Amino acid sequence: MQASRARLFKEYKEVQREKVADPDIQLVCDDSNIFKWTALIKGPSETPYDGGVFQLAFSVPEQYPLQPPQVRFLTKIFHPNVHFKTGEICLDILKNAWSPAWTLQSVCRAIIALMAHPEPDSPLNCDSGNLLRSGDIRGYQSMARMYTRLAAMPKKG
Amino acid sequence: MISDSIPNASVAMASSNPKDFAKKKRANRLAKLKQCKLDARREQWLSQVKNKGGSKEEVNGGGVAHRVPAVHLENERGRPVEKLEIKPRSGEEIYGDGSSMHHYSDSESLPSNSPTSQTSSVLGSNDSGANFTASSSSSSSGRSSSSCSNGFCSGNMSEDEGDVGDDDCLDDWETVADALAANDNKQKQDSPNSGFGSPSSKKHDNAAEFGSQVDVANQSFSGIDISNVNPELGPTKQRPQVNCCAWRPDDAYRPQSLPNLSKQYSFPLNSERRFGRGSVWGCKNLGPIPKSCPICFEDLDGTDSSFLPCSCGFRLCLFCHKRILEEDGRCPGCRKQYECEPVEGEATLDGGSLTIRLPRSCSMITSLRYWYRDLVLKQKELI
Repeated sequence: MQASRARLFKEYKEVQREKVADPDIQLVCDDSNIFKWTALIKGPSETPYDGGVFQLAFSVPEQYPLQPPQVRFLTKIFHPNVHFKTGEICLDILKNAWSPAWTLQSVCRAIIALMAHPEPDSPLNCDSGNLLRSGDIRGYQSMARMYTRLAAMPKKG
Repeated sequence: MISDSIPNASVAMASSNPKDFAKKKRANRLAKLKQCKLDARREQWLSQVKNKGGSKEEVNGGGVAHRVPAVHLENERGRPVEKLEIKPRSGEEIYGDGSSMHHYSDSESLPSNSPTSQTSSVLGSNDSGANFTASSSSSSSGRSSSSCSNGFCSGNMSEDEGDVGDDDCLDDWETVADALAANDNKQKQDSPNSGFGSPSSKKHDNAAEFGSQVDVANQSFSGIDISNVNPELGPTKQRPQVNCCAWRPDDAYRPQSLPNLSKQYSFPLNSERRFGRGSVWGCKNLGPIPKSCPICFEDLDGTDSSFLPCSCGFRLCLFCHKRILEEDGRCPGCRKQYECEPVEGEATLDGGSLTIRLPRSCSMITSLRYWYRDLVLKQKELI
């Protein structure tokens, strides 16, 4: 309990210090609860998510960093490894490949990497996975881009 | 290389006025040491050394200083390092640092081949509780200042193991002394067969060369032998032991340790290097040691930064390591399973290159402690 709190506090300070370092990630701690974080990540360029800003919700367990944080997309995203409805993320480092050496910041980076390199063989979004597995790259990209525009881009007007 | 460097050391040691030499050197180092803690301790030791009389100091040199901490029985990691720093003779010291480890590995690995190994293992099996000192002092006698660390360790342990009956230990120390003497005689007879130089002159040379070291050994040995009650040693008592211990064929008999020894000899003998050694050598092959634990982000203290639980080199504080062991027990750096505790200790001892000094010597003491505890348990079973 205390250890996780101390670690999160240190991470918070680290985030404040390195705010400028990674402009793609904006990690914010909940005002009243250090175990609740939200992050805004920019969709990586040259992907259908380019131009979108995606919101992530972190729920940090008390055993953190020995246990991984629970992360899900709050923003809708069409991605084979993200559940379309719940926003749950299928990412090994959030499950069994978690290492206490990871930080919330590095989790964000890993999620950005996952957006750029989807893994259609372990899909949470079967439609997206099937498109990719059947080789319909164009279909996947257009769907993903559409949802990025719909959900992840600031509404114009 | 060995035969070259031994005379060098002997020249340094046997220089016309060893007392002045040692004193000068000690004064130099006093000046160099910056930590007031160290200074205070050294002052303490020095005063004790002086109290024991000039002649003794002349012969024993650093030995007194070494044994004093052993008698004081303070349990500190920094202690061996300090002791090394105090030592008047560079060659001796260079022995010392490594040989504490070698001695350990020797007594572990020896039973495989060499004759000495058999005797030492016999020793070991005879008197399990005391055999630690037996083997340590035996190795120390041949190997100079390993005695200091050994003396330190054994003294340290005898205090640490408060639950161990002191009387038992005492009896065993004495039996070990006898066994050691017998062992020495045997080895003395064997020694003509050993490595370099003519046997007779070799013994004398070594008596001269290692005189002080032997004194160190004897003192630590008999200081323990007399149950630390009587730190002063009668010269008569030293005499035979000097002869017995002056030349230990360990070095020649142990092919495994020879490379190490030669390496140790070949280390530059200047004191600057030695002072910096802990940090410099500790860091050299391990890459930069992080200032804070990557898991909890707390600062790493000395123990933590010398703690290398996984071969991948991922460092973390002991606290986090313990917490991880309680959970899935995988290294955060490589996600491989941590090896269980005792194996881990040995792994850090055996693995790694010679240059990883500080971590090894630090973990040395703890693992020696475990080892000693096991021996004590065995001893109780035997009794």
